[in-house]
Amino acid sequence: MTAPLLRATRLTKSFPGVRALRGVGLTLNRGEVVAVIGENGAGKSTLMKILAGVQTPDSGEVQLEGHPVVLDSVLVALRHGIALIHQELNLADNLDVAANIFLGREPLRNGLIDRDRIEREAAVHLKAVGLDVSPRTPVHELSIGQQQLVEIAKALSVQARVLIMDEPTSSLSSGEAAKLFTVIHDLRSRGVSMLYISHRLGEVNALADRVVVLRDGENAGDLERADITHGAMVKLMVGRDLSQFYAHEPHPPGRPVLEVRGLRSRVHPKHAVDFTLRAGEIVGMAGLVGAGRTELLEALFGVTPAVGGSIRVDGQEIQPQSPQEAIAAGLALVPEDRKHQGVILEMAIRDNLSLASLRQDQRRGFLNRVRELALSGEMMSRLRIKAPHDQQVVQFLSGGNQQKVVLGKWLALRPKVLLLDEPTRGIDIGAKQEIYRLMEELSRTGVAILFVSSELEEILGLSDRTLVMHEGRLTGELRRDQLSEEAVMHLATNSSPSPSPLSTPALPA
Amino acid sequence: MISVECASGFCQSPGIIPVKLTFQPIAIPLVLTLALSTLLTGCKPASDSAGGSGSGGGKKKIAFVSNGVASFWTIAGAGVKAAGEKFGVDAETLMPVEGISDQKRIIEDLVTRGIDGIAVSPIDPANQTDLLNRAAKRTHLITHDSDAPASDRELYIGMDNYSAGRLCGDLVREAMPKGGTVMLFIGRLEQDNAKRRRQGVIDAILGRPANPANYDAPGTILEGNGFKILGTLTDQFDRAKGKANAEDALAKYPDLGCMVGLFAYNPPLMLEALGQANKLGKVQVVAFDEDDATLEGIQKGHVHGTVVQNPYMYGFKSVEILSELAKGNASVIPASKFIDIPARQIRKATVDEFWTDLKAKTGAKK
Amino acid sequence: MRKILGITALLIVVCVITSLASSSFLSAYNLENLIRRTALFGIISIGVAFVIVTGGIDLSIGSVVCLVGCGLPWLLTTHHWSVPTALAAVILVSVGIGLGHGLLITRLRLPPFVVTLCGLLLYRGIARGFTQDQTVGFGSEFKALRSLATGQIPLPFLSGFALPAPWIFLIAVAVLAAIFLNRTIYGRYLLALGRNEDAARYSGINTRRMIVLAYVISSTLAGLGGILFVLDVNSAQPVDFGNFYELYAIAAAVLGGCSLRGGEGTIVGVIVGAALMQVLRNMITLVTTHNNIEFAIIGAVILLGVIADELVKRYAARRRAARALAAEGAG
Repeated sequence: MTAPLLRATRLTKSFPGVRALRGVGLTLNRGEVVAVIGENGAGKSTLMKILAGVQTPDSGEVQLEGHPVVLDSVLVALRHGIALIHQELNLADNLDVAANIFLGREPLRNGLIDRDRIEREAAVHLKAVGLDVSPRTPVHELSIGQQQLVEIAKALSVQARVLIMDEPTSSLSSGEAAKLFTVIHDLRSRGVSMLYISHRLGEVNALADRVVVLRDGENAGDLERADITHGAMVKLMVGRDLSQFYAHEPHPPGRPVLEVRGLRSRVHPKHAVDFTLRAGEIVGMAGLVGAGRTELLEALFGVTPAVGGSIRVDGQEIQPQSPQEAIAAGLALVPEDRKHQGVILEMAIRDNLSLASLRQDQRRGFLNRVRELALSGEMMSRLRIKAPHDQQVVQFLSGGNQQKVVLGKWLALRPKVLLLDEPTRGIDIGAKQEIYRLMEELSRTGVAILFVSSELEEILGLSDRTLVMHEGRLTGELRRDQLSEEAVMHLATNSSPSPSPLSTPALPA
Repeated sequence: MISVECASGFCQSPGIIPVKLTFQPIAIPLVLTLALSTLLTGCKPASDSAGGSGSGGGKKKIAFVSNGVASFWTIAGAGVKAAGEKFGVDAETLMPVEGISDQKRIIEDLVTRGIDGIAVSPIDPANQTDLLNRAAKRTHLITHDSDAPASDRELYIGMDNYSAGRLCGDLVREAMPKGGTVMLFIGRLEQDNAKRRRQGVIDAILGRPANPANYDAPGTILEGNGFKILGTLTDQFDRAKGKANAEDALAKYPDLGCMVGLFAYNPPLMLEALGQANKLGKVQVVAFDEDDATLEGIQKGHVHGTVVQNPYMYGFKSVEILSELAKGNASVIPASKFIDIPARQIRKATVDEFWTDLKAKTGAKK
Repeated sequence: MRKILGITALLIVVCVITSLASSSFLSAYNLENLIRRTALFGIISIGVAFVIVTGGIDLSIGSVVCLVGCGLPWLLTTHHWSVPTALAAVILVSVGIGLGHGLLITRLRLPPFVVTLCGLLLYRGIARGFTQDQTVGFGSEFKALRSLATGQIPLPFLSGFALPAPWIFLIAVAVLAAIFLNRTIYGRYLLALGRNEDAARYSGINTRRMIVLAYVISSTLAGLGGILFVLDVNSAQPVDFGNFYELYAIAAAVLGGCSLRGGEGTIVGVIVGAALMQVLRNMITLVTTHNNIEFAIIGAVILLGVIADELVKRYAARRRAARALAAEGAG
């Protein structure tokens, strides 16, 4: 047996105060897709950065085809055929596709950039990733998914043998993700090896030949193709059995709290939406990216005021023109973009937690510091926010803890209706579970919860009822006993439950 | 003198063309367009009227360009107006507000318009020779207040700033017969007239023979004749800074003997500083120009005296000469190419008479 | 706090050096002058600090100083308005200017830089228009009014030293500003929206109203500054009165710890920053005979201060990040 394409052994890496990797190993064979999973902080990103030459390990060894190599810069790694595709895309969106693919190593002719050659070669690579756009298309005209494919084409253009993909689907729609998976299959068949990092276990299940699980900077175990199951992965990741991952208990619906009639958002002014939310209910809202779910929540919350229709909270008609008015009526929104709309990164946990309730706790315009302190203490323990103290700047918290801060901010106001937009996006499995627990807990106290999610398993696991949207319209409502992947996808694509390429890979088996 | 109170190179408002000085922001696009088109089309329109004969056929048009905005120039403007009426020409006064670049633009625009004669007080004569020569090719050009001897200007109307400075220095010696320490305050030293005026003061105080070519660097302490000149502080036309300079000098030299303010606004600021330090009358003040506060200071005995020039005559004489030149009468140019409008010393004995006359001349204004 | 320590240390160092080099630096007269100047510039600097905290900028301050500085003597001496009416008028105009800026910025979504840059041109132009470009001043009138800026308050146990009146204004403004920024919910709102306007809005804060308020505070304090400046100097020349003062104010605010990215700022820091600028200018006159290099020295010292601050900040951020990571027990 020949040596594997890539073998890393006993890698360690410490940062001030933290041992990120404690002797991690990994092998990758030619034409193999290996998924690397683990909770946030397990060391996945550090491992990937070491392999791509972004960081150097404190100790340990990396071998390529049996020969030790020192990957001390991105350039060296690239020369060895290892390319990292970042979670945040690194394209210059003012340039066209071809220029991006060859950025920094443009072929010259007579001292000028050889446009013809760039476009010719770019076209070849675009074809290889199945991207059907002209090399002259400016990158800003492409969707995120297409930009992802451009990144991959760029990697291929340097003859990459190992592609490292860090959360590649985190901002893709299901359709785009499906397309990406086709490309991954195709590349694998052509002998390209891939390391695939994802929080989405469904994807991992559908794609990976092997799964490497990290926990606390160490190898927690590997799973061969045959052993890859959702449960097995979760068990290795969190180190315990998660029989009750979605601890759903049906909630007896109470009085109607939120009644929406003929609501038309500014983005989809032609489609009126009707639905009712009852006290103590958890309602999921499914749909493809761009179906108008976020816009609907923003209209309810007054961020982008609705252009028509009526909203009643506890029977009182409201027409929120700003979040302030929606909040006064008892609504709260955990927005999709946590870092830009949810928390104020540079401010302390305490200041973030009290931000929404300052007004109601004020003493003639002055801050009520006693109340602020009490509130943050209560929320820190109730939500199990992991931080040394509440003056910690939110920036340095993990995604899950940041999301808990957003939730805590709203809990302080005791909202009647809690709207959540992709509440678990980009946070690790442990924090996810805590957020689910909180949603359950709140619904038991009579809060009506409406949550938007693109993760079907989450919808299936949590909701008493599911609303499905497609292109701005509410295409259906499913009771818990009617709920199934097929039913949701059918409504979400507004088509017959066909072999849509979307559903298969994106969902857990 | 020329000292102008503002010719600050940094005033923000865009200047104006020969339009009235109000509401410039609206004029910005206009000014830009005009300046741009002037640049783009070169001096084409001007070439039509080259030679200085106005194409209008009617009254000759004459412009009097200052080096900044100041009450000094308002008085000169009164002379310009009076002469314009007397000699039957269209005479206007233009004050650049943004220093040298603004003055350049004004002159270029005037030439483009086909003006029959320009009298200008160049802000930086040594570096404006090209501009002045280009203008002199297309129209009649004379300098006033500050000369540009290297240029092709036809003559210079003004006062010799060096001599005026010496008059001022004589006032200092008169105020302090036993000598003592002296501090000089001035807006800025980049202008030739400012340099010469300051040098005249220094040479007279130190008892040196008259030599306009002398130059003492501002940072050096000069001694002689029983006097010690401690330095020259500039403020770049920032009033608060000018006052701070006076205050700092008083702090640094508690026994300062005499303060000399060489731009019109300096003496009032010095008086403010002295008033607040309770030193009015204890430190001698010698002034330049005729600010109201300065004249009042002379009346009260807080200012020993001031040296004034005659801006009214600058304006009047400039228009008179240019109207003759525009008619083709070159005999008004003296061999020396210099028409002297002498400066005068004003002391307590003469201040009332002078002030009355001044009010009469500017009477329409205030 | 740490930021204030740095700038305060710098101020002390400059003061010590200056007092060693010039015996007159610590004279009562010079200290009075410094305090008065610091007060005048401190007031306008506190104003702009509020705008900077929101992540905006106000370039019109110098021109507002000019408009008010020319307007007050013009109303009093040319139009013979009564003192209270004239004062009320110029303050009202200042408030109106800030309101206009704020509304243009929040309602029409115009960039603050553009709005206040146009203000910079506009207000000076207006001042030059109504004064016909003539210097306006109080002459020897209005002594009582002028004592607001030139007056001295004797201190009980210190003979030979009296507190300049503008200092009282500065302290009053600073105390109110500090209470507003640190103790009221509105101050918290300003700090929050300066960091992240979207998140603040999603939290139910009326961000537009708070931004308008910040511009009103800025121009009102610029107006107050303009009044005190002209009362101190006694005359104002529309062409250059207050020229560049917006830059001095912004520099003082930045020196005092305000981040131009918004969300950070302390009032004490701003005052120390304003003081540092004035002490530097004073030092150059007292110690050297070359006051033409003043801008070079001020520029160099500010730059050094900002560089040192940035380095300290990075070090602190690294340590904080490391501690946070360790505390989360992440691996």
